[in-house]
Amino acid sequence: MGDLVVLVKAALNPELVRSSDGDRLDLDSVPLKLSDIDRNAVEEAARLKSILGGKLYSITVLTWGPASLREKDLRLAVQEALAKGVDEAIVVADDSAVPGDQVLTANIIVGAIKSLGLKPDIIIAAEESIDEGTGQIPGRVASKLGFPYVSFVRKIDVSDGKIIVERDLEEVVEVVEAPLPAVVSVTQEINDPRPPTLIQIRRASKKPIRTLKLSDLNVEPVRKRAIRELRIIKEERKGVVIEAESVDKAADRLLEILESEGILK
Amino acid sequence: MKILVLGETSRDIGESLSAISSIEGDRVVALFSTSHDEASRASALGYKVYHLNTRNTEAAYKLLVKVYEAESPGLIVSVSTKNPRDVLSRLAGLLDLPLATNVRKISVGDGKIVYERAVLSERSISLEEADPPAILLVMPRLFKPIAGEGQGSIEELEPSEEPAARILEVKRKELGGARIEEADVVVGVGRGFRRREDLRLAFELAELLGGAVGGSRPIAADLKWLPEDAWIGISGKRISPKLYIAVGISGAPQHMAGVSGSKIIVAINKDKSAPIFRYADYGIVADLYEILPILIRKLKERKGLG
Ligand SMILES: Cc1cc2nc3c(=O)[nH]c(=O)nc-3n(C[C@H](O)[C@H](O)[C@H](O)COP(=O)(O)OP(=O)(O)OC[C@H]3O[C@@H](n4cnc5c(N)ncnc54)[C@H](O)[C@@H]3O)c2cc1C
Repeated sequence: MGDLVVLVKAALNPELVRSSDGDRLDLDSVPLKLSDIDRNAVEEAARLKSILGGKLYSITVLTWGPASLREKDLRLAVQEALAKGVDEAIVVADDSAVPGDQVLTANIIVGAIKSLGLKPDIIIAAEESIDEGTGQIPGRVASKLGFPYVSFVRKIDVSDGKIIVERDLEEVVEVVEAPLPAVVSVTQEINDPRPPTLIQIRRASKKPIRTLKLSDLNVEPVRKRAIRELRIIKEERKGVVIEAESVDKAADRLLEILESEGILK
Repeated sequence: MKILVLGETSRDIGESLSAISSIEGDRVVALFSTSHDEASRASALGYKVYHLNTRNTEAAYKLLVKVYEAESPGLIVSVSTKNPRDVLSRLAGLLDLPLATNVRKISVGDGKIVYERAVLSERSISLEEADPPAILLVMPRLFKPIAGEGQGSIEELEPSEEPAARILEVKRKELGGARIEEADVVVGVGRGFRRREDLRLAFELAELLGGAVGGSRPIAADLKWLPEDAWIGISGKRISPKLYIAVGISGAPQHMAGVSGSKIIVAINKDKSAPIFRYADYGIVADLYEILPILIRKLKERKGLG
């Protein structure tokens, strides 16, 4: 029986983008949080563990630095994964890997799996993150390890050494069978994750977190893209909240506005 | 610089070719499709077409590796849809190539590929550069497909081995034909609606305003109370009506990015601290079950239907 690995990202929180100078994004001031669909991935990994057994590891690569500033956000994200069923967290936090480069991130994940001797049956990840949103890490990891890969999965069934999944594509649903070990990326619709309970959070604080550097993994800090500049997209909206003494009056007010805007004749 | 364009349809390939229209260099096309008609339409765009004749992403990836080796492109471009994202992320991993999605602008300068893309759930634009060879996936429906000029050759490529991951069944999704991208008024429904039947209120309001009904991702993709072509947001459709009325929608960035082209945004939400009020022109803090029937009655009265 093998292990399970779930990929977990501490992502920039898009709801808290800030700028101190015009429209330039002030990267260091944007907090990190557990990326939304990673919750679904952790929940599904915990469910698979209850069927397959084995140990559930999470792997997190810090991609936004500096590491010293990100410690607390990183810990909170990882602890949420631990609270939801991860047994041991592996965290690679190294300033030579920030800002992240997906070529490097995938090499680090594969480096961690190999150097720690993990034998995953299933590596599970979210379809995409809330910050970079590229969804490329699971596909990269699969081809580096030579594992089959099924992406955009909204349902997983396991039976004797293989999985049968539903891939949720734009116009069709594909039912695919893959042998294990395999890499799976999941969509937000695969389950409905609940926040961890207090007991789960308390238990999580006793679970091991192993923190590693690139030098521990024999991974070179290669870089194939550079971010020149990040700008906030400014949305100009009026932001008027219609105040009225009753809902009926508020409805009248809205219709008046729609009329003056030329939408109602 | 030689450019390889990957796509599942000739239309998507046309969009990618349009995204790179200012970049010099030879172009070759890889069509990921089992349709021979699509292959001849793609070849009518004027470039050589490698026809990856499969619907399996693993098989398409293996064939694409062969095309890559034969052509050694400096840039690979595709529209950002799910299967191309799957296939190209594998190629990126095999060869350690940089890959970016949601790209809106591409140029080449000083031996670098320079591009702009939306990040942070489309709250920000990132200006980036990558070393060739690089893979860029452009936003769907942003570029107008180029018109065909000439006739390219077609090279048929068939998978040579059975892929490890096999497709057992393909089920077509039911689409509703709501055409929310073309409507002047769109009523957007969110999880504030408690039951599917209650969406009737939104349909009635939309009809009185001459509009269509769309929904948030949970409504369309998870609960399936609306067909998926009524799904609004970064992973659904982008709309730009004159009026968007969001009802029982919290205002997540992934939803709001899909409606940023609207002329006026009205939000109806019972929680006065809902983020949607920050991204709307007009907001009403009210229970949708109370205000929608009132709005419907008043609109009917105005039309003399009441
Ligand atoms: C990578 C990624 C991509 C995504 N893509 C999309 C996308 O394309 N489109 C999309 O929509 N979402 C998308 N999402 C999901 C998004 O983050 C939100 O989860 C989703 O938009 C929330 O939908 P909602 O507003 O309907 O539900 P909720 O967030 O649950 O909001 C419901 C709202 O209804 C209000 N409400 C409740 N009862 C009433 C009542 N009786 N009267 C009035 N108001 C009421 C509540 O106050 C609340 O604000 C994506 C997420 C990720 C991570």
